[in-house]
Amino acid sequence: MAKKMDNEYDYLFKIVLIGDSGVGKSNILSRFTRNDFCLESKSTIGVEFATRTLQVNDRTIKAQIWDTAGQERYRAITSAYYRGAVGALLVYDITKKQTFDNVQRWLGELRGHADSNIVIMMAGNKCDLKQLRAVSEEEGQELAEKEGLSFLETSALEAINVEKAFGTILGEIYHIVSKKALAAQETAAAAGPPSQGTTINVSDSTGTKKSCCSN
Amino acid sequence: MQFAMLRWVVQIIEVAGGRWTIWYEDVGRWNAFAVIGFTAIAGLALLGTLIVTTSRRGGLKSPWSQRRRKKSLLLRQWKNLFTSDGKLRDSVTFLKNVRSGGVDHDIRHEVWPFLLGIYDLNSSDVERNRIGKQKRKEYKNLRKKCRNFFKAGDINGVKIKDAVIGSRESNDGCISFMPENELEAKQSISIEGEQSDDPEKLLLDSDIGIVEKENSDITHVDTKSLDSDSEEEFPVIYTPTVEETELQNVKISHKRDSSKIAEDFTIWQRIIRLDAIRANGEWITYSPSQAAISEGIAYKHAEEVGLKDYKHLQPCRIFHAARLVAVLEAYTVYDSEIGYCQGMSDLLAPIISVMEEDHEAFWCFVGFMSKARHNFRLDEVGIQRQLKIVSRIIKFKDAHLYNHLEMLQAQDCFFVYRMVVVLFRRELTFAQTLTMWEAMWADQAAIRAGIGKSWGLIRLRAPPTEDLLLYAIAASVLQKRKTIIERSISMDEIISECNSMAGQLDEWKLLDDAYDLVVRFHHKIS
Repeated sequence: MAKKMDNEYDYLFKIVLIGDSGVGKSNILSRFTRNDFCLESKSTIGVEFATRTLQVNDRTIKAQIWDTAGQERYRAITSAYYRGAVGALLVYDITKKQTFDNVQRWLGELRGHADSNIVIMMAGNKCDLKQLRAVSEEEGQELAEKEGLSFLETSALEAINVEKAFGTILGEIYHIVSKKALAAQETAAAAGPPSQGTTINVSDSTGTKKSCCSN
Repeated sequence: MQFAMLRWVVQIIEVAGGRWTIWYEDVGRWNAFAVIGFTAIAGLALLGTLIVTTSRRGGLKSPWSQRRRKKSLLLRQWKNLFTSDGKLRDSVTFLKNVRSGGVDHDIRHEVWPFLLGIYDLNSSDVERNRIGKQKRKEYKNLRKKCRNFFKAGDINGVKIKDAVIGSRESNDGCISFMPENELEAKQSISIEGEQSDDPEKLLLDSDIGIVEKENSDITHVDTKSLDSDSEEEFPVIYTPTVEETELQNVKISHKRDSSKIAEDFTIWQRIIRLDAIRANGEWITYSPSQAAISEGIAYKHAEEVGLKDYKHLQPCRIFHAARLVAVLEAYTVYDSEIGYCQGMSDLLAPIISVMEEDHEAFWCFVGFMSKARHNFRLDEVGIQRQLKIVSRIIKFKDAHLYNHLEMLQAQDCFFVYRMVVVLFRRELTFAQTLTMWEAMWADQAAIRAGIGKSWGLIRLRAPPTEDLLLYAIAASVLQKRKTIIERSISMDEIISECNSMAGQLDEWKLLDDAYDLVVRFHHKIS
């Protein structure tokens, strides 16, 4: 398949990156979208976003990833961006126990502001810092199972599992969407996915057409 | 023929200048008339363009236009501005010069305390010496308080009983630091800020629909308790009960402000250290003495403030980070309503690099924050007000662009959020930022000192404004109008576009454009 232009895609999935300040959200984003890591990455003020287009099951998916400020103070602004998100990567720092303890609060935020069907993955970041580990992988796994989340330990610095984390989220969203699309097809004999891209809402089986990407 | 044409042009100028004289001239021959007529029409069109360009600025040229821009204030000029007893002989010239050309980096450390209100523009050497000593002592006591708070906070959390609120600005708007004998010991943590009588201080924009108190809502620690020599008097630290410990930390409540601070000193302490070690080294080339700091001194400072995870940094960066922590922590105690919010370190870092003494950096930061603190308020009133101003400027200037933004549901201008919060710090380089801030501070200093009204024509057409930066921010968006409209980018992409302005902006062009907007719309905005 020829490489598609940035605005040519089958699906647009909006994903939010959340978690405490300093857990490495912005670097996870830059690793995934630009294969870049910056030790001096500054705090995120409000929200920023980046995109990456990739292939999942022969479909072109544009992942629009919203990086949010971690500090409580910015919560009102950042939570507005949960709207329309179909996936979330909830990040904690394996060397800072408190960031793991706050996972529950972040889940509460998602439950309060995001779609109830949002696909959530929890990521224990900075797993390269083994000697400073304060949260074991088992603890992470246990919490993920209890909360019904996918889970991976990641390192944005060493590019460990970052691709896999987003790949898992996107795959899962695509799976849900295609199942819903199939069901919709069966009932309405609908045509294939629109050529100009579809923004997916996990609670909406048909998706909404993205009007801004027509050129 | 040439003579006739000249007369034509002269008369056209007269017409264009509003003097409606009869301009008919018999040149004898119709063909010549036709040629001249054609030339005249072309000339008129050109003049019309010139007139429109001039009149939209009310005949004033921007102090930031390439032609009129002053050179930055130099040491020699700066010294010449003072009388023998060390008083500024001409505040107006001083502020106009700073506003238009900025300050030479070598004298910034001397100039900024005036711009930021630590020193009154009319102060003498003697007064400044006295204030300097007092400020040093107050800062020292704030740090002492920090050490005690945070030592305890590390373990159990802290309860502050003696944080007291007071108005930090006097009626003339100059930052005043209450003398010890005027302070009363208070045992309260409620806000009892004084209401300013000055209408300028109460920014009320009924059209915008938001009333924001610009002053007198600073929560800061009673400086008398700080000045006390008795260690027993402060801080009051106690061992929390189990329940309180489970609550993590004690929240500070405010009598007047219904919004609770959901954050506390322990969180601020942690985030401050996090942000301090990731401050970039852009300042290094501008501050050779701090860049050359020895490893020993850097580590000593780092240990004193309990810096963490800094071993990977070079000594000057460790030193810089430690200073950031010291000053930001002191600020959380001084203004516990704001405490610490991410982005504040962006505002402090340039000050730290210019002011070599921590207490000077701290009070300059306090001066800066007297306006900028509203960007970090928990209730977001300050930020909403500013976004609305940017939105209104765009609406007045470019209805087409505004309609386009409305269509995208982006007329709230949230896409300039970061620019507003950290005052262009993320979009401009270190040097550009300082120039921009100095222009803004000069305007604010002129307003504070009430001298904006004596700026001649500027008073009528483009008075100094508290919101200069917002006009510059609107200008930066207007510079992108083509991309926004023609490429039909979405609301999300506008955010991306704004966030990627970094390194692409010209600070003088922004100020020049901002000037145009101030001239045209300041009376509608403020």
